[in-house]
Amino acid sequence: MTLSALSHQAAAVEVLTDKPIDLPGLLASSHHEQAGAVVLFSGDVRNHNIGREVSYLEYEAHNELAEKSIRKILEDAKEKWPLNIAAAQHRLGKVAILESAVVVITASAHRSEAFVANRYIIDRIKHETPIWKCEYYTNGEYSWGNNCNCAEITGDPDKHLYSQ
Amino acid sequence: MKIQLFASLKDFFGKELDIDQSISSVESLRQFLETQNPQSASLLKSCRFAVKDEFVANDYLLTDHDIISVIPPSSGG
Repeated sequence: MTLSALSHQAAAVEVLTDKPIDLPGLLASSHHEQAGAVVLFSGDVRNHNIGREVSYLEYEAHNELAEKSIRKILEDAKEKWPLNIAAAQHRLGKVAILESAVVVITASAHRSEAFVANRYIIDRIKHETPIWKCEYYTNGEYSWGNNCNCAEITGDPDKHLYSQ
Repeated sequence: MKIQLFASLKDFFGKELDIDQSISSVESLRQFLETQNPQSASLLKSCRFAVKDEFVANDYLLTDHDIISVIPPSSGG
């Protein structure tokens, strides 16, 4: 497969979706003859946060900016590491407990690059991509939650502190 | 000019604001919004602004016909 065909393959995965993320389908299409390692990270919706029982989440995005942001992050990852595949998809709208809210898939010749690139991509998506979650609790209350608070430390909304 | 607001900013301003008066720059818009709702000040300091689907800097000059998106810190994933 040519390099341009590979980029095409990565671009073919929709980065935003309002339908359930098809983890088995995305994984099935993420194998590559030159890649000995495939890493799939799924950010799942859990039933609790900071001691409160969560009923479900609802995500909203600035769609155009979010799509551009995720595509740029994937391109940056491909420049930093020799990846055969770099793909990501984020869910929008109401997402139930146990469902996947975001998936990142990386594939490379050896596992080291696939792991580190996957972590890089999900960290940047969580800090930079204009997508927001609203937590709805079992008692009927809601809160917009867990915003990136790097700007309070760096003084600049474009400067982030990454955990890696 | 028209202002589009997202996520927790909607609790302060609603989803969309129409502003009749001229506001010259992104920084002036931030100050205008803070004046409208002082409780939003700390959140607005962490927000990015975008025009025509591009992020713009604090000194970006606005026109009366611009549609400006105010982008709070991300909380996806």
